[in-house]
Amino acid sequence: MDRTQLLLTLSIALFAIGLLGVMIRRNALVMLMCMELMLNGVILSLVTFAERSAMLSGAVLVFLVFVVAAAEIAIAIPIVLLLARRRRTLDVGAWSELRG
Amino acid sequence: MSLETLLLYFFSAAALLSGVLMLVARHPMRVAIALIGAMISLAGIYAILGVHVIAVFQVLIYVGAVMVFMVYVIMLLDVRDPSFLERYGRAVLPSVLLAGLLAVALAAAVGRGRSVTAGDLGTTQGESAGTLFNVQPFSAEFLGSYWLHFELTSVLLLAAVVAAIAVVKGGRRHDG
Amino acid sequence: MNLLTLIVVLPLTGFLLNGLLGPRLGKSFVTVVGCGLPVLAFLATIRAFGQLDGAAGLALVESAYTWAVVGDFSFDIAFYFDRLSALMTLIVTGVGSLIHIYSTGYMKDDPSYARYFAYLNLFLFFMLLLVLGRSLLVCFVGWEGVGLASYLLIGFWFEDPAKAAAGKKAFITNRVGDAGFLLGMFLIYYALGTLDFDAVNAAFQGPVPPAVSASLVGVLLFIGATGKSAQIPLHVWLPDAMAGPTPVSALIHAATMVTAGVYLVARLNGLYLVAPEASQLIAGIGVATAFFAATIAVVQTDIKKVLAYSTISQLGFMFLALGVGAYGVAVFHVYTHAFFKACLFLGAGSVIHALGGEQDIRKMGGLARRIPVTFVTFAVATAAIAGLPPLAGFFSKDEILWYAFASERGGSPLLWAVASVTALLTAFYMFRLLILTFLTPSRMDHETEHHVHESPWSMTSVLVVLAVLSAIGGFFHVYLFLEPVMPLPETAHALEHLEWPLIILAVVIGLAGLAAAVYVYRGGLDRAERLERRFPGLHRLLSGKYYIDELYEALIGRPIRWISDRVFLRIGDRLLLDGTLNGMASVARGAAGQLARVQTGNLHFYAFLVLAGLVALLLWSWGHV
Repeated sequence: MDRTQLLLTLSIALFAIGLLGVMIRRNALVMLMCMELMLNGVILSLVTFAERSAMLSGAVLVFLVFVVAAAEIAIAIPIVLLLARRRRTLDVGAWSELRG
Repeated sequence: MSLETLLLYFFSAAALLSGVLMLVARHPMRVAIALIGAMISLAGIYAILGVHVIAVFQVLIYVGAVMVFMVYVIMLLDVRDPSFLERYGRAVLPSVLLAGLLAVALAAAVGRGRSVTAGDLGTTQGESAGTLFNVQPFSAEFLGSYWLHFELTSVLLLAAVVAAIAVVKGGRRHDG
Repeated sequence: MNLLTLIVVLPLTGFLLNGLLGPRLGKSFVTVVGCGLPVLAFLATIRAFGQLDGAAGLALVESAYTWAVVGDFSFDIAFYFDRLSALMTLIVTGVGSLIHIYSTGYMKDDPSYARYFAYLNLFLFFMLLLVLGRSLLVCFVGWEGVGLASYLLIGFWFEDPAKAAAGKKAFITNRVGDAGFLLGMFLIYYALGTLDFDAVNAAFQGPVPPAVSASLVGVLLFIGATGKSAQIPLHVWLPDAMAGPTPVSALIHAATMVTAGVYLVARLNGLYLVAPEASQLIAGIGVATAFFAATIAVVQTDIKKVLAYSTISQLGFMFLALGVGAYGVAVFHVYTHAFFKACLFLGAGSVIHALGGEQDIRKMGGLARRIPVTFVTFAVATAAIAGLPPLAGFFSKDEILWYAFASERGGSPLLWAVASVTALLTAFYMFRLLILTFLTPSRMDHETEHHVHESPWSMTSVLVVLAVLSAIGGFFHVYLFLEPVMPLPETAHALEHLEWPLIILAVVIGLAGLAAAVYVYRGGLDRAERLERRFPGLHRLLSGKYYIDELYEALIGRPIRWISDRVFLRIGDRLLLDGTLNGMASVARGAAGQLARVQTGNLHFYAFLVLAGLVALLLWSWGHV
């Protein structure tokens, strides 16, 4: 197995684990952190391809993704906190109002 | 097997292990630490690949800013939250199976691709790769061709700050 | 000049003006328009009559409007004026105008004055279409139209449900007859390709008989006539129709509309001359109806109902004449009957008006001195209907009896005998009515008695005119006038010597009826009540009108209502239609309910679904790429 395949497989595995975490865990902040893990997995694949193709623009893109991730988390956490304050718990099950 | 390959395997395993720990840990703080561990492993992988700039930025920005913020927030919250006791939602097994199916399907696609080089994983694309992703070439490229994107990111960050304030202020007004 | 079209259109104009503008423009306007236009129509008819005489016996034909063109054939609205239609039109417009004038007095205090005259003019319009129409189609339009006008006028005081129901009964019974009329029309058109009366008569009288059975057509058209002219079995609507205002009863249910059936058969005499079976049927039903209705009239206690059954009976006489081929004689009786029956009805209206609404003859009596004009005119008309010479009824009834006995086209002693008994009964019940209403000691209650007063001159003048016509009208022998159009049947030579004896016998019968009535009713109701106690069953049968209405209700009304309820309502409407719609709605609701189970509100579930979809897409795309 060559390096690219290994790293891509790792990227897929991290993505899948993060996704699993989103689907399983009940704490809102933990779900956010699992989403960060998913993002990291994808960034890994981006870096892998950038290195293989020897393109600097790939690295620039990674940097921009970091910035966006930071901005995103800056907003996501206050929103989660407000939601948690409303229902007095971080449990996302508290927001399930539909009867289904 | 060269050092690089070994380190590569090591950091990959570390990242995976951290990921699994994230799923299993009960306290969010432990989850955060596991995530930090995963990110640092990834930084290590980037360094092995020769993309030093990105490795540094991974640690600086992602761990240093994002995860610190996350840790702050976790520390601010109450320990007696019920979600700390009940970790998982309802249907765990179907989710595991589905995520596994996804991973297998995607990995199969990857596995079908051609191997460029067999055997030794440590080979790089040439010594140009070693210096290609250094700070100087990176900065020259970044602030040269991509200066517009740079400006836009500052606008984006400003918007994020304003938005965060608006969300919190608006939330407060509702709660009053 | 389009004289015939003018005659027809004048009452139509009256209907439109009175109907649309009448309520707003007041009683005087309605009176002038409502009475003036029929009078104008009458004058126009006289003018046309004058033109007819000068036309050497040929009919006037006017085509007004082409209604439709289908293939080679065009359906025209055309008018045909020969001696028969001339006579009918004169009766319709003449007697009609008189009754309009009477109505101005009778309906003076009614709030729906304008509507009344509008409907009355509408009726005149349709009746004129009927008698002036050249083809069966135009005649049928008028036929249906007078049915409509009759319904509107019978149910004129529709706030009373019983009166509205009477209107419905009339209309529906007419419609049953109309089915026969339509079938007859279809057969004629199918066989001959034309519906014009003159063409139809010529075709049936011609050398080559048409490809359809004349008797069949004759019977079908006669079914229509039974509906309109109240013969057995469709006579049930006429007594109920007395719920309408009395002038309406006079005009529609005595003088004109009910004679439409007689007109139809007389007009198609060319057909009936070659349809002996149909003619026998007509004669049989006619004489049976005459007898049947006369027996019922003997026990009736409402003044208008007696006259209604009397009308049915007299119509039976007319159909008897038609059935034995004496078409002109039947029309003669139409003519005289119009005068004396209208006079009788209007006189009854005058009595009702005088008594403030009382119609039960058991509560009348002694009116002769108090309302003399009404009494005298009523008496003259009663004598006319009883067949006392030299009044009009004597001439026409006598001719009918003679032809019923001796006509070569179906006359028989049996027909004559039944008709004579009926004539006896007619005299009896009519004089009974006269005596009980006017001549016995008063049985009125005191309140009514105080208010008895003679009617205004608008009503009494008409009564006088009609009484005079009932007296002298018989001297104009209509059947001779109509000979060119409707030849009289041959009479059996062997029986001709009996003609004068039969005439004398008829007069004796009339006087016998008068004597019997005087004997029974002279002092009031006592003798009658004793007779009633001796024959209770017979009395009940006659009072119950032979229970025909109940029979129809049981045979037709109840099954139809049962089917409507059980089959159409419960099964058809509720089970099938509503069930289908509700079922579809339930299916939709059920499906939606099931689909809504996706919306659990559970975030993890949603994420799971998204992922599941994504994985499925991936797998599928790899299979197909």
